[in-house]
Amino acid sequence: MSEKFSAALRIGDLNDYIAPSQACIVSLKGLKKNDKPEVSIANKQVNFEPVKISLKDCLACSGCVTSAETVMLEKQSLDEFLNNINSGKAVIVSLSPQSRASIAVHFGISPIQAFKKLTRFFKSLGVKAVFDTSCSRDLTLVESCVEFITRYRQNQLVDDERSKSSLPMIASACPGWICYAEKQLGSFVLPYISSVKSPQQTVGAIIKNYVCQELGLRPEEVYHVTVMPCYDKKLEAARDDFVFQFESHVEGLESEINMISEVDSVLTTGEVLELIQSKEVDFKSLEETPLDKILTNINEEGYLYGVHGSSGGYAETIFRYAAKTLFGRQIDDPLTFRNIRNSDFQEVTLEVEGKTVLKFALCYGFRNLQNIVRKLKNGKCDYHFLEIMACPSGCLNGGGQIKPNSGQSPKELSQLLESVYMENVLVASPFDNPIIKGLYDKWLEQPGSVKARRYMHTQYHPVEKSITSQLHNW
Amino acid sequence: MMELKEIQRLEGHTDKVWSLAWNPTTGHAGIPLVFASCSGDKTVRIWEQNLSSGLWACTAVLDETHTRTVRSCAWSPSGKLLATASFDATTAIWENVGGDFECVSTLEGHENEVKCVSWNAAGTLLATCSRDKSVWIWEVLPGNEFECVSVLQGHSQDVKMVKWHPTEDILFSCSYDNSVKVWADEGDSDDWQCVQTLGEPNNGHTSTVWALSFNVSGDKMVTCSDDLTLKVWETESVGTQSGGGFAPWTHLCTLSGYHDRTIFSVHWSREGIFASGAADNAIRLFVDDNESQVGGPLYKLLLKKEKAHDMDINSVQWSPGEKPVLASASDDGTIKVWELTSY
Repeated sequence: MSEKFSAALRIGDLNDYIAPSQACIVSLKGLKKNDKPEVSIANKQVNFEPVKISLKDCLACSGCVTSAETVMLEKQSLDEFLNNINSGKAVIVSLSPQSRASIAVHFGISPIQAFKKLTRFFKSLGVKAVFDTSCSRDLTLVESCVEFITRYRQNQLVDDERSKSSLPMIASACPGWICYAEKQLGSFVLPYISSVKSPQQTVGAIIKNYVCQELGLRPEEVYHVTVMPCYDKKLEAARDDFVFQFESHVEGLESEINMISEVDSVLTTGEVLELIQSKEVDFKSLEETPLDKILTNINEEGYLYGVHGSSGGYAETIFRYAAKTLFGRQIDDPLTFRNIRNSDFQEVTLEVEGKTVLKFALCYGFRNLQNIVRKLKNGKCDYHFLEIMACPSGCLNGGGQIKPNSGQSPKELSQLLESVYMENVLVASPFDNPIIKGLYDKWLEQPGSVKARRYMHTQYHPVEKSITSQLHNW
Repeated sequence: MMELKEIQRLEGHTDKVWSLAWNPTTGHAGIPLVFASCSGDKTVRIWEQNLSSGLWACTAVLDETHTRTVRSCAWSPSGKLLATASFDATTAIWENVGGDFECVSTLEGHENEVKCVSWNAAGTLLATCSRDKSVWIWEVLPGNEFECVSVLQGHSQDVKMVKWHPTEDILFSCSYDNSVKVWADEGDSDDWQCVQTLGEPNNGHTSTVWALSFNVSGDKMVTCSDDLTLKVWETESVGTQSGGGFAPWTHLCTLSGYHDRTIFSVHWSREGIFASGAADNAIRLFVDDNESQVGGPLYKLLLKKEKAHDMDINSVQWSPGEKPVLASASDDGTIKVWELTSY
C-alpha cells in the first residue's frame, strides 16, 4: 500500500487483503436504492448511464480497498485539475501556508515570494483566483475558540459524568486522525472532537456558498482546488459531509438539483512541484503577481499575517483566548510548551491561585496519539484541549510535502520549514482579521450563530466493520 | 547416540496449541519448572512441574479475557508478568498474584490479529507485531502501565514474530514478506528505525519467515521459513561496541534438504543445540559440525523425531534450568515435553 498516507491511515484503513464475501455496502450518493424490480415495456430504447462506484466511496468504507486504489487517488488530481481548466470552468486554488513554506524552502525564497510566484504560475495556466487557507483557518480558529468556551463552561456546570465527556476538546483539522477516530475508535472518541470544519473545508464552504454568490457565479461553474501538505486531505475533501445540495434556476428551464463539493480536488505540495517541473518553468525567475485579497491574509503594507503554530495554531490560539475569556489573563508572551515524552508531545498549563485550570497539549505522530487514546479510554486524560496531528512533527512534515534534498536529513528540513513558516509573517489574532470580521458582518452573523454552525461545522460518523471482514483466523 | 525421549503428553487445550513459553525464573534452586501455553481455544494454561514425580500439571487456566485465538505468550524476565497476544487485536498483561493470574493491562492499537509478543532482556520494553504489518514497542511503566514508544512500519506483509536480542535493546521481526528486519533506537533520531533488512538480496529467505532464535551469546541467529530452510546469521562484537553503531548481521549458512514441509518454529538452547518444529509433525535437532571440512557444512542434523505429534508443530522451546528439556506445541491440541538422552 501507499507510503504517502499518514500512519493512522495506513494502519487503520488501507489493506491489501480482501476478506471473502465482502459485500459492497457503499450507498450511492444521490441515488436511492430501488429494491423493486422494474420491467420496462416501452418501445423506445432507453440509454442508462452505468452507476459507478467512485474511489471516494470505497475509501470511506471499511471494506476492501487495496493499495492499488490509493495509486489511482494519488494520480487523479493533477490531470483532473488541468482538465477542468481546459473545460472552461472557473478554477480557484486555495494554498495552505504549510505548502507555501515547503515550496519557499525548496526554491530558497521567502513565503510571500513563493505565494506571489505561485499565483503567477497558476494564473498562467488559466486559474482565476488564488486564495490563502491561513485566512479560512482564522475562521476555523474563531469558531473553535467559541466552541471550547462553551464546552469548558458546560463541563464546569454539570456534575454528572456524561456531560463531562465534552472535554478534552480535540482539534478536528487532521483528516488522518479523523479517519482513524471514525474507523478504529468509533463512538467513544467522536464526541470529543471539535465540530468545526478544517481550514480546507472552511475555505471551500466560503467559496462555494458565499464568494460565488458575490461574484455572480453558479457553484457548479466553479472548480475549487486546494494545495495541501498531506495526502489525507484528499480523503477529507471526498467526505459526504462536505457535499451540499444547490438548486440553480436557469431561465426557461426547470430548476435542477446539483451536488456541490466544497473542495473538488486536492493537490499536494509535491504534486504542485511536479507540475511546475513538467511545465519546465523557471520558478525562481517567475514574476511575482499581486495576490487576490478576498480570502488572503495580507495586510495593506504587503505583509502576510497569521497565528503561531505550524500545524494550525489551535492549541496556542484557543489557550490564549480561554485564558483571557475565562480567567481574565491576557497572555502576550510566547507560550512555554513543555516536552512530555518527546518533542512531538508537548503541553502548556495555566494556573490560577495555585490550581491548574487549563491544560493543553500538542500531540503529533501516531505513537503519541496511541498514548492519548489509552488515557482517554482509561478515564485518565486530564487535558482540556488536544491538538492531535497524525504526522510526526505535525503538518509541516505531511506526507505530501517536498522531500529532503540529498544530503539533507528529514530533521534538518523540518527545522528549516519551521523557521521559514513564520518568516516575515506578522502574528495577529484571528479575531482581528478584517476578512473574517467581514464574513461575519455580511454573512455568518456572529461566532457560534446558527448560520455559522450550518456552514462552518460538521459531523463525524463511526464506521461499523462488517462481520465478514473479521472472520478469518490464522 | 542421542535420543529425544517423550517425558509427558499434556492435554487440556480444546483447540490447536499455538505457542508456549517457559518462565525464565524457574528450574533453578529447587524451583519447579513452569511454562505457559496458548491456544485457539482462547485460553492460556499454566503448567507447573511436580518436583517429586517430575511431571507437569495444569495449575491455572486464563480465560474469559481474550475473545479469539491466543497466538503467542511471553514471560517477563522477572517471571512476574505474562504477556499474551491474541487474534482479537489485543495484548493482555497478566500478573501472578499468589498463584492466581490477574489481567492487569490490555494493550490496544493493532488493527487486527496480534501474532507475537516479546520482552527485552531488562523487562523494560515489550514488542508486539500483527497482520496489520506493524511492529509496536511499548515501555513498561510502574504500576503495570504501558506506554506506546513507537509504531514501526516497514514490513509489507503480515509480521509473524518479534524477538528482542538477548543482551542488546535491538528488536528483530520476521514476516510474510520473506524478510527479517532489525530495529534500533539510533541516538540521533527521536524514534526507532529499521537499521537492516535481511531479505532475498542478501541471502535471505525466499518465502515467509516464521520464527527466529539467538544462541546464548547473541552473536548468532537462526531463522526458519516456508522455503523449507533454516538460515544461520552472525554479527560481530556483540556487547563490546563502545558507543559504536549497530553491528550488521551477515548470512553464515543455509541448512536445506532436511525439511519436507514448512518450518514453523526454531529455538536455540544454551548448550548450542537448536530445535525445529515443522508441518511434517517432526522435531529436528541441529548442532555444530565440529568435524566439518573446510567449506563443508557448519551445522549437522543431530536427530530427527518422526511423528513427534499427530499434526503440525507450531512451537518448540528449550526450558531454562540445569538440565534443559524441550517442550513442543501442536495443532493436535497437545503439548509434549521431551528429554534429550544418550543411549
